[in-house]
Amino acid sequence: MTVGTNEKLSLKNSKTSPFLTTERKDSLSRMITIAGFFALWQIIGMINAHFEWFNPTFLPTPVDVLGAALHLHDQGVLFTHIWSSTWRLGVGFILGVVIAVVLAFLIAKVKFVQNALEPLINVIGPIPPFALLPIFIIWMGVGELSKLTLITYATAIPMIAYTVDGIRNVNPLLVRSALSLGANQWQVFKSVILPSALPPIFVGMRVTLAISFSAMVVAEMIGAFSGLGYLIIDSRNFFQMDNMFLAAALIGVLYSIFALILSFIEKRLFKWRQGTQMNDAISK
Amino acid sequence: MGLVVTDVSKSFPSGHGIKPVLQNVTFESKDNEFVCVLGHSGCGKSTLLNMIAGFASPDDGFMTVNGEQINGPDQERGVVFQEHALFPWYTVLENIALGPTFQGKSKEESQQIAKKYLALVNLEDAANQYPSQLSGGMKQRVGIARALANEPKILLMDEPFGALDILTRETMRKELLNIWMHLRTMVVFVTHSIAEAVHLADRILVMKQGEIASNIEVHLDRPRDAKHPQFLSLVDELSSILIEEKART
Ligand SMILES: Nc1ncnc2c1ncn2[C@@H]1O[C@H](COP(=O)(O)OP(=O)(O)O)[C@@H](O)[C@H]1O
Ligand SMILES: [Mg+2]
Repeated sequence: MTVGTNEKLSLKNSKTSPFLTTERKDSLSRMITIAGFFALWQIIGMINAHFEWFNPTFLPTPVDVLGAALHLHDQGVLFTHIWSSTWRLGVGFILGVVIAVVLAFLIAKVKFVQNALEPLINVIGPIPPFALLPIFIIWMGVGELSKLTLITYATAIPMIAYTVDGIRNVNPLLVRSALSLGANQWQVFKSVILPSALPPIFVGMRVTLAISFSAMVVAEMIGAFSGLGYLIIDSRNFFQMDNMFLAAALIGVLYSIFALILSFIEKRLFKWRQGTQMNDAISK
Repeated sequence: MGLVVTDVSKSFPSGHGIKPVLQNVTFESKDNEFVCVLGHSGCGKSTLLNMIAGFASPDDGFMTVNGEQINGPDQERGVVFQEHALFPWYTVLENIALGPTFQGKSKEESQQIAKKYLALVNLEDAANQYPSQLSGGMKQRVGIARALANEPKILLMDEPFGALDILTRETMRKELLNIWMHLRTMVVFVTHSIAEAVHLADRILVMKQGEIASNIEVHLDRPRDAKHPQFLSLVDELSSILIEEKART
């Protein structure tokens, strides 16, 4: 889950402040770290290529990886792989979140649904979703359906817990307040329950995104013919280390993009939370 | 007609048995009346107010507003909470416009109403701020404006200034009085401050351990002078009733 921590770190400083100088300094030092990392990697790879401490094919340099990218691009498959992974993840993740949120509201609101679903989720939920992939494939074939099902399922299970928790923690005073203002059930939902459950839903989405990505990669490694997970497996068969590094890096980039989109939506949605979070405790 | 509370009792389960919190509470208050419920903390003031608001129902007895039995929360009974209970995701103006919107008024009309009440509490400048950006006193003003925007028959206030510092508290008390003189809505105001009650009320209900120990009408002219002999003698009378209670417990 290293990607998860990376993303948290970058969120910390995402607040816009009028004092751009400190922020500039921050982003400069971040860029230096990353550039330094790649430079070091390149240098070690080159030294190793020269002295052959170990077989250089085991450690392709960043330049080799870029070369692999160009090569795949020339073959016309690079963007096919990226796009396959992107839309699978996008569709599976969004479906998973939507299904989970709807189910969670039903669980929180309708006693009958709660009694029917909660024990089921408690029994099946702890099974790692990846263990179910072969079953999904036998049921639904090796096509997109089984892959989407895995990603959706892997997303929905944890999201249900986050959403139910969010709904149950709604401040009852706010519900009273809305009722005294003459709100009906739907208005209470729309004006109180949904907005106060949204922050925990977004926390859930940020955490679950990493799980969805794992599900996407695993699904593509088993019985797929496109996608970044497929690229890793396919390249392994031909010992193309540079392609494998490339695919891993692209998965990282894709994750960062999805995480960025999430935090962008969050920032727009939760303007009202400014000044209420730990980072606002002391301003410099 | 106004508010009529007849023989209301309420108890809560506590430990093994049940704990009586209100016993045979009976009083009436007229439209336009400013009623203060005065008592030590834990004597059941909030419990009484919550039942008038419709958040809980009495075990025994009746509560009616203009002859109609109270049955759940309703926009005719606006509530101002001590913890302000503003919606953090709505701006000040949106918070105040919420009641009219719930009533099915159009967005423009609701905003128009909200602006009127925002002006009433002198907060026009804060219209587009979020509650987290406001001071405690400002939050309470928004809370009052929000409750009033529905033009309730009764305004219920549970220690609304209890969390404020003394200076703000006094300012807020004066402003509330001005607003009330202007609108003359019935107010049921819970407080544990004797001076606050004497400053504000037409009628003071002194509560002792879940019972109404005293129902006193106040006929002093407003604004009231805390050094006026009648003011002082009323304060004395009330504190002796309340301290007597202390001695018994
Ligand atoms: N929901 C409840 N469950 C159990 N006990 C309660 C509940 N609400 C209030 N009480 C008890 O009733 C008593 C009166 O409470 P309250 O009405 O809040 O007093 P006040 O507002 O005058 O301080 C307190 O002893 C409190 O512990
Ligand atoms: Mg209380």
